[in-house]
Amino acid sequence: MSYYDLDVILTDSEKVPCKFELEVPDLGYLDNNPSQPLKAGTSVNLPLWLAELLALTHQSSTPFLTLSLPPALGDNVLNALKADPRAVPLRDQSQNFYGLGARMLDLFEEPELGVVLRRSFVVRAGEVALHGRKAGATGDAGSAEDFMRGLEEWEKKLYRQAHEGAKGHKEWMDGVKK
Amino acid sequence: MYGDLGNKLVQYAKRTQSLGFLPPYQTETVRGVTREVRDLDKDIAQRLEPFGGSFNPQADQATACTLLVNHLSIRRNKRCLLAYHKSRTDKLEELAWKGFDVVDLAGQQVASGNAGSNLGSADGGSSSLSPQEEDYIRQYSDLLAAYKGQWTDIDLTGSLEPPRDLFIDVRALKDAGEIQTEYGAITLTKNSQFYVRQGDVERLIAQGYLQKLG
Amino acid sequence: MDIDDILREVDPTFDSIPVETRDLQALTRAWIAERSAPELLDWPADGLFERINDRIKKQIEKVEEMTGDMDPKTNFALIVIQTELERFKFLVRSYLRARVAKIDKHTLHYLSTADLRLRLSSTELAYATRHQALLHHHYLSSFLSSFPASLQNLNDTSGNISMIDTPDVDTAVFIRLLRDVVVRGKGTDVDGAAAGQHGDIFILRWSDAKGLVESGSAELV
Repeated sequence: MSYYDLDVILTDSEKVPCKFELEVPDLGYLDNNPSQPLKAGTSVNLPLWLAELLALTHQSSTPFLTLSLPPALGDNVLNALKADPRAVPLRDQSQNFYGLGARMLDLFEEPELGVVLRRSFVVRAGEVALHGRKAGATGDAGSAEDFMRGLEEWEKKLYRQAHEGAKGHKEWMDGVKK
Repeated sequence: MYGDLGNKLVQYAKRTQSLGFLPPYQTETVRGVTREVRDLDKDIAQRLEPFGGSFNPQADQATACTLLVNHLSIRRNKRCLLAYHKSRTDKLEELAWKGFDVVDLAGQQVASGNAGSNLGSADGGSSSLSPQEEDYIRQYSDLLAAYKGQWTDIDLTGSLEPPRDLFIDVRALKDAGEIQTEYGAITLTKNSQFYVRQGDVERLIAQGYLQKLG
Repeated sequence: MDIDDILREVDPTFDSIPVETRDLQALTRAWIAERSAPELLDWPADGLFERINDRIKKQIEKVEEMTGDMDPKTNFALIVIQTELERFKFLVRSYLRARVAKIDKHTLHYLSTADLRLRLSSTELAYATRHQALLHHHYLSSFLSSFPASLQNLNDTSGNISMIDTPDVDTAVFIRLLRDVVVRGKGTDVDGAAAGQHGDIFILRWSDAKGLVESGSAELV
């Protein structure tokens, strides 16, 4: 649905850990070793746009490589989210945290990951909406700033919508009074 | 690595999404990405040459893998280039619908003090648009004019705010020249005030020449 | 003397309002629906917009005739007619712009099948076709002609993402029921259904609402 969507394209440039299953003489540059062959078993970080199809394409029973979850979706992050979703600056993990999570859920059977992401999104979205409505008038300015700074792209869009919505509503109400 | 330049283009497009104008076209980066594509394609051709058209991926998995990496890199660059160019044509089209003039949009020299002139680069010198973009917006403006011509009485590029008052008070923020109304011509000199039909002055308000009062 | 009497004196066709009122209602409903639905809706096949465009032209001519007439009664009627005219023009303009925005966003999609193309008016079809051609030519002259021939297209659906963007039919919409019906919604974990009554308002995915709207059981609000 989104070939031209800039955020989707940038999410695809997120790197994931990959393990090559075969030796490829001319791909040493993927491991910053252009003069060396890429040996079987080598782990490299590759962008999703490359990694996904290499993992899915295979002529025999083994794919060219296998990939695993990126550190942004690692156990320590997930545990922190389970404890308190609002306290985790997602942007520090990945600008496109949920986009990345969604792509991983497409590729892996990870029901627990799905549950944690969904719950985190919903809880944080509530917080985002609150800030959007009260833009500029929060009581605890310090933690609000931290939270806002930690928003990833989906949440930033949500914030803009909440803010525009609240603003539009107020303008409309003012117009009605006149 | 292949695709890094393409990423740069997309990041650039994203950073400038919220701007009201179009920043300079990234000619060098676009050229760089296109060069990458040509290099990758040449590499594919060279690898396939010895097989004379009957390459069997099963028999040579390493080559199959390399070919796939090249192919995916070309596709990635295509996507990045398209997204970058489209983000700019989208913006140009948006401005055309808002009533900005083709001449302004093509980034030619405009006298300072004109509301619609900040589409070129800040120094008013060279154009922010590539020559192809200038061609495009000229052709698109023609298309828009033709489409509008099917609905002349509606004024398709008019205001999308629901009409409240037929007549409104306005003040001219700068010299805005002469406008035609059904009651005759009015000359809008700076700071003068008028009671005019909203429909006649919408465009001038949107472009900052006039301010609606009250 | 009230406003109706003044207008009737000035405009002898005043009593034929009912037809125009019906069209205004249809126009208003079409406008609301088009702004709410995430995909392009059908172009009214019964000539609604051709009639409205015609009527607007005639009203403008009438206004031009009446302008300059110094009779205060005419002047007042003139303002009323012009205000009405601005409202009509706004509705048509907003409707057409909403449609163009959707067409521009997913041009290849709407041009891709005969069924989809039928949703566009002939003017829109001409615009969409030409727009797409201009864009493709722009890309070719900017960079695309440096690509291998097989990749110079814009409608590649192989690979893991299609180049043809389509509207998100899971967008949320508000509907009002026009009859008592059961409203079914598909959920992430489980599907749901609710017994709705005439007048009830629901918010649900367009993909779930579409059937109800097309069958006349509900309207978009």
